[in-house]
Amino acid sequence: MFNHNLIDIVKNTCFILLTISLLFGCSSEGKKQDALQVPDSVINEGILEISNEAMQDIIQNISSPVEIAAKIKASGIPFSKKYLAPTDKVSSYNTNLQQSIALGIFGADLGYLNMYNKTGQVLDYISSIKKLADYIKVGQFFDFSTLKRLATNNTNLDSLMYISVHSFNQMDDYLRKNNRGNLSALIIAGVWLEGVYMISQVATDYPDPEMSEKVGEQKIILGDLMLILKNYSKDPNFTKYLEDFEKIREVFRPVKISYEMGEPEAVEQDGMLVIIQNEKSIVHITDEQLALITKTVNDIRNKLINN
Amino acid sequence: MKKVFLITLFLSLGFLAVVKMEAQTTAKLVEMCTKSAGDDATYLKDFVVELEAAGSNEKPPVAKFSMVLSKNNVYRFTVCNAGDSEGKAVIQLFDMNRLLGSSYNAATGQEYQSFNFQCQKTGVYHVFINFVDGKKGSAVGILSFIKTL
Repeated sequence: MFNHNLIDIVKNTCFILLTISLLFGCSSEGKKQDALQVPDSVINEGILEISNEAMQDIIQNISSPVEIAAKIKASGIPFSKKYLAPTDKVSSYNTNLQQSIALGIFGADLGYLNMYNKTGQVLDYISSIKKLADYIKVGQFFDFSTLKRLATNNTNLDSLMYISVHSFNQMDDYLRKNNRGNLSALIIAGVWLEGVYMISQVATDYPDPEMSEKVGEQKIILGDLMLILKNYSKDPNFTKYLEDFEKIREVFRPVKISYEMGEPEAVEQDGMLVIIQNEKSIVHITDEQLALITKTVNDIRNKLINN
Repeated sequence: MKKVFLITLFLSLGFLAVVKMEAQTTAKLVEMCTKSAGDDATYLKDFVVELEAAGSNEKPPVAKFSMVLSKNNVYRFTVCNAGDSEGKAVIQLFDMNRLLGSSYNAATGQEYQSFNFQCQKTGVYHVFINFVDGKKGSAVGILSFIKTL
């Protein structure tokens, strides 16, 4: 009798525990994501040289797909499809690392398309991004149906931009918190690479000291990006990406950046507090350096997107 | 035994509903704060903050975030308190170790929901969010892009 009851109690306890674990594993937004089947090769543990906390500090908003596109548009340069990566090879990216860097590249392109309100072409890019995000198991953060609706209706372009950028932030955040920072690093690298590609192509097509300076100042951002990428240098699959970005760093090395000191000022303009920074960074870049950067970035970016 | 199971199930579902509601509330606060940044602002990043009250003789807790800002761009920093937040959130922008701007001037008591930053130096900047008088609170900070100079 006692043994029979004991078996029943154990059975019932196991059943309750299993039910609770299933419930918590399936219903909470965060835990649901943990339950996804992620291949072991994607999870990256134990090779970080700097702490996750320090990584979080470095990695936030290192490059935004919006800012470079805004700079190009504000300079009066017309939209050109030639600055965009072709989407026809998406299915041929067959490793998570390839998919991640492509995701970043297409994310930057989406920022450029959104900035110019090219909603007709946005659909192609959001479909490709959704595919890539699904491949690396972060598709749940990419609100494809809403983006598709906004792009199709050609309305509420602010929301289109907001959801696009917010989706990328969420994917990045989730990957970092789930020991898949290697993929997050490559997405960020992809966004940055495509941004430099665009601005260097524009600087070549429409020579202008401000555009050249914009290319040159990427040296500062590249320094931080390399810190992130080097964290995964012990992963043999990651090495080729690191080598590519090292080549880019080499061509940026001769670019000089100087600083002019100054104290910030706070003024009120139309009720808005405005902080004017008087400390300045000044970029010194020659035409030869610009040409070499443009060529190197172009070659590496094309190699990566052409697989 | 069935009773125990039903109670456990009920409590679990209740807990999950709360978790989901909190996530939705945060998402709504981010969206609302993004809108309150203004029509001229393009969302770049959100900073969701939930801090406990400072203990006696303790420094007020601060949430820190780092980001790269680029020269010749104007950015806007906006802060919004959650409806149930006890404390008022303050968003501050730092260079390496120098305070550049704050949504709250402790000397005058002047508060701003947003402030603009005209960036002249590309580099890493730090956003700090804390609550006035070290109170417990939850809030969202938004970094937006306004224009290139």
